[in-house]
Amino acid sequence: MTIPLADPGSLGRRLERYRSAARGGLVTDAARQVELPHGPIDRHVLAERLARTLGGEVIASPGGSYVRCESESRAIPLDRERLARLPAQPAPPVPLVCLDTETTGLATAAGTVAFLIGLGWWRGDRFHQVQLLLPDHADEPAMLTALARHIPLDGWLVTYNGRGFDWPLLVTRYRMARRAAPVHGGHLDLLPIVRRLFRHRLDDARLRTAEAGLLGLHRHGDIDGSEIPARYLGFLRGGPAEPLVEVARHNDQDVRSLARLLVLLANDYGTTEARRSVPAGDLGGLARAYAREGRLAEALECYDVAFSADPGATPPIAKSDVTLTETRRAPEPTGRLPWWSPDVPPDFGGRRPSAIQAGPSVRSAAFATPWTSERIAVERAHTLRRLRRWESAAEAWASLAAGPGRSAIVAAIELAKLREHRLRDPLGALRATGDGLALVERRRRLGRPEPRLEADLRGRARRLRRRLAGRAGRQAVPPTNGTRGSMASPAQRPRTRSSSGSKEQAIVRRSPASALR
Amino acid sequence: MRTYAPADPAAVLAELLAEPSLARGVVHHAILPARPAEHGDFPGWLDPRIVAGLAQRGIARPYRHQADAIESIRGGEDVVIVTPTASGKTLCYAVPILQAIAEDPAARALLLFPTKALSQDQVAEFAGLSATAGLQVSASTYDGDTPAPIRSAVRTAGQVVATNPDMLHSAILPHHTKWFQLFEQLRYIVIDELHTYRGVFGGHVANVLRRLLRICAHYGSHPVIICCSATIGNPGELAEALIGRPVRVLTRNGAPAGERHILLVDPPRLDPASEARGSAVTLAQRWALPFLRAGRQTIVFGRSRVAVELLLSGLRESLRESRGPRTRVRGYRGGYLPTERRAIERGLRDGEILGVVATNALELGVDIGRLDAAILAGYPGSIAATWQQFGRAGRRAGTSVAILVASSAPVDQYVVHHPEFLLEGTPEEARADPDNLHILLAHLRAAVFELPFEPGEVFGPGPVDDLLAFLGEEGHVREAGDGRWYWSSENFPASEISLRTAAPENVVIIDTTPDRPRVLGEVDLFSAQVLVHEHAIYLHESAQYHVDRLEWGERKAYVHRIDADHYTYANRAVTLKPLDVFAEAAATGGRRIHGEVMVASLVTLYKKLKFLTDENVGFGPVDLPEIELQTTAYWLTAEAVRDRWRRHELDIALLGAGRAIQTVASVLLMVDPRDLGLVSQVRSPHSEQPTIYLYEAVPGGIGLAERLWDRHDELVSAAAELIASCACDAGCPACTGPRLEPEIDAKALALRLLGELGAARHATALPAVG
Repeated sequence: MTIPLADPGSLGRRLERYRSAARGGLVTDAARQVELPHGPIDRHVLAERLARTLGGEVIASPGGSYVRCESESRAIPLDRERLARLPAQPAPPVPLVCLDTETTGLATAAGTVAFLIGLGWWRGDRFHQVQLLLPDHADEPAMLTALARHIPLDGWLVTYNGRGFDWPLLVTRYRMARRAAPVHGGHLDLLPIVRRLFRHRLDDARLRTAEAGLLGLHRHGDIDGSEIPARYLGFLRGGPAEPLVEVARHNDQDVRSLARLLVLLANDYGTTEARRSVPAGDLGGLARAYAREGRLAEALECYDVAFSADPGATPPIAKSDVTLTETRRAPEPTGRLPWWSPDVPPDFGGRRPSAIQAGPSVRSAAFATPWTSERIAVERAHTLRRLRRWESAAEAWASLAAGPGRSAIVAAIELAKLREHRLRDPLGALRATGDGLALVERRRRLGRPEPRLEADLRGRARRLRRRLAGRAGRQAVPPTNGTRGSMASPAQRPRTRSSSGSKEQAIVRRSPASALR
Repeated sequence: MRTYAPADPAAVLAELLAEPSLARGVVHHAILPARPAEHGDFPGWLDPRIVAGLAQRGIARPYRHQADAIESIRGGEDVVIVTPTASGKTLCYAVPILQAIAEDPAARALLLFPTKALSQDQVAEFAGLSATAGLQVSASTYDGDTPAPIRSAVRTAGQVVATNPDMLHSAILPHHTKWFQLFEQLRYIVIDELHTYRGVFGGHVANVLRRLLRICAHYGSHPVIICCSATIGNPGELAEALIGRPVRVLTRNGAPAGERHILLVDPPRLDPASEARGSAVTLAQRWALPFLRAGRQTIVFGRSRVAVELLLSGLRESLRESRGPRTRVRGYRGGYLPTERRAIERGLRDGEILGVVATNALELGVDIGRLDAAILAGYPGSIAATWQQFGRAGRRAGTSVAILVASSAPVDQYVVHHPEFLLEGTPEEARADPDNLHILLAHLRAAVFELPFEPGEVFGPGPVDDLLAFLGEEGHVREAGDGRWYWSSENFPASEISLRTAAPENVVIIDTTPDRPRVLGEVDLFSAQVLVHEHAIYLHESAQYHVDRLEWGERKAYVHRIDADHYTYANRAVTLKPLDVFAEAAATGGRRIHGEVMVASLVTLYKKLKFLTDENVGFGPVDLPEIELQTTAYWLTAEAVRDRWRRHELDIALLGAGRAIQTVASVLLMVDPRDLGLVSQVRSPHSEQPTIYLYEAVPGGIGLAERLWDRHDELVSAAAELIASCACDAGCPACTGPRLEPEIDAKALALRLLGELGAARHATALPAVG
């Protein structure tokens, strides 16, 4: 360029003008004019100030010094056997390290620093907690070394949104220092579990909300996550360390809540007995979690418990006196989506991260369906089918098909599929399609045509009739548009939950996902 | 002269020239002789699989320039390859990259293209090359369209990653730790379409590249940089400005070419008394039709979306009347869907599509093969762009024809009446000033965010400790206990920078046409005054938008898509105050100065002007506050005439000469005339001399002013030349600007002034451009 930056006089003049332009004219962004001290502050002063204020000790090492605060251990007994029975949980002997960071920003990009790392682990029934604090950017290598020492090779991290935020951020810090991130055995992120099990009864997925709604804990005087970076940056610039006292307490409580959430999961969800006393919707979510791992028998068990629960006694479940279609909430305008919608990024407190790398959501709309007892019944029927318990699945679908609304038509289709392909009962299948078509007809009269389901049913009926005609020669085939009643009503055919594995056939063909999935 | 049977382009041209009404407009007809192919050899170290793969694709031997490039790149030299369209430049960088990956699958290459479409094209070509060579190479694009699940795969395993500067700036560099596999093993960086990185965008891209190389150094890699550029005046200089390292310039083109005819056409005056000329669009159609009827593949370039639609419907209509191949003529412009564009490109390559009418959306390196005729309705704004568009016509063997039809705009007129300017002049220089203080500081923030700065570390022009200390005052960065500089803010600096604008604060343009309003783009405040005031017609990717509302406080402009036959031009009332002098020298009749100025700009009025004719069809008020712009400027004083001239004559002479200098400057520097502002003062309060200022309409400037200062003598001579050769009597919009006082001969006055400033009287020789 024209003016070499090396020419200090010219550069000084230009910067001065840039500054005045920035303050007076074009740039209105000059609100943050803080009086800042000149030159760097001695890092030892910062470390001492931090340690003194937070009651910690300065640990000096070749890579710098960091501040270590240890709080008193508490009795938080965790039954690891029970915990291990839940989906995606570590085996009992695996050491667990609860971890939560406080950072200078929400982007997991290169310039965000974790300045406080809260750690917690069990020794017997005692839960021990330690916090590592960064007194100056220059001391980061020391803190990273200390963190690595706290994570055993076979240990599992326990975090809240740590897969998406805390751990990638720490990995970034290690890579910035050209070091390898600590090896560990696994990562148990509680955010997806809380979302899966409890979103039907929580307002959002923040740890704070989960604490209040699940653990009955209410924090008083807790600071807002969005204030945290500014408090630390103020300290770095030479401000007092006192504002960080609340940050440390906040982090301390976060780590403890991780432990308590684990205890809650183990105690209330780890055994079938315990599950009988929890809301049925939680079990719906738990069953899905099991099903995701292919643990279908356990998923079915959850559905069974949820299904047998008295719907009146479990308020979180919406009564299914309305049809499934109607209980699905209409899409709300953008920006006003319910927190559990798959289109909404998880709200884990603090400010929203920028949407720079937000990819498109690929989950289906059915994911946002609330847990009605009808949905539990549908999921249960699907699970029975996936377990190849055809008879039981057929019964489950039959009772659903006798119910109201659109789901009854879907159930009729599923029933027809089962009877045709698994139970070798084409006649029964044809009967089911007939009932389905009658339901379609009825809904059409109510002004709710179902062209897709109707086409499916008609095609199915046509094929079945052709097949029956071919097999039975001139044997009479009942009309498809028959009246309802040829199929057993729930009163005639009482629910049998598990007629374990009779007549299961080894046909390895999955029926395509139905319209309800 | 209707030709329905297929005919040779030369035959068609001969027939056209036999038609007196057309031949009358031909100002110049040049014939470029055919050139044979010059071949080189593939180097011996090349993996035999690659040689075999290329042979399978019909490439037994490389052209000379390809062989040179491959050798240089392999030797670790940074190069810039300057070749015309479709001369096989992909091969130049693809071969060394493939070789590196064949030798070591961990090797990585990063390809930068200015647009998403180009990176897709190139990745497809790359995949084809590696497939025929039987090599397993993972080549993928990484941009806003890449789905999230694929992104992480590209980050860790992509061997060849194609992206654009914006994505590199906002998504890759700030997250470099997630890309460590790429950065640790980065061998080659390819910067294609180098010439598009000029002006403000170029300044930003240069800083993005500084950040990129800084990250590479952190991870211990030292990639070779391969730039590809269309023909511009200073490819080496631009490449060095952008990458901050010396480069080897490879210009020899070994690809063969057939004979080419270049015609410059000026539409005849409608009647001898008036200035008005026939429309370039109509005339371009007449020249294009016979080629289409003769079954020759033809491309017609229009300057705007409207012009393209007019040309397209006109051509189709004429072809229908004469039962020509109407349906084989297609349009191609911004706003067409990518799939549609791909289909047209494919159609052109395999000959299915006979004619295409395009905006400069086709100017960039999109592969459409080579055609028989290219007809330009209007000068595209630069020599380089003209040759790129001409270059679309040019078979490897056989005759091709390229025709430029001028419009009545001053620049067009200058160009067609100075054929040597286009045919012999060096193409324009592309300028990028990476050290513009606004741009540099913005990227310095982003760079600190990405990696802390060591004391005394160099970023761009030198050690940046002073600049970091300056940023420290704002609290964004801090000097830590180890003396290094760290980012200390919760902001994400990359998200605060848009590569396409200079000022930190921009007006966001929001398109309300679709159901979900979308952000169309951004303009800096200074440009916003004239571009997006209420009721302005804003042009974006050659589509027109009407500005419904400008929320100045919120920095938002709401627009909707329209089709109008006019555009708007806002009048800026400007006061200018010099702040600092960077360079000063004596010149004939006065002094020439380069320095920093403060420009206060107030817009109060806009005019509606018809497309094609520039006819004034209305006006309206603009109610916006005055804003100040600090920028660089070039100015000249006319001390010799201060006391000898009558004041109001001097006023007119300064304005007229200034206008001409502005026009010539925009031609010389390949910029939009709007990028250079003009202020003339009979007695400058600063120097007390008659002064003409040309300031850059970008905060901080992008180096244009310095360039103008260097070329002061040329500017003065060329301006005199422009005015003298204009066919008007006493000044017109094409030379000295609109006549304010009809009874005064602005032309003579301006010429006299320029003569005093050193322009050779009755100058006929064209200033050496370049």
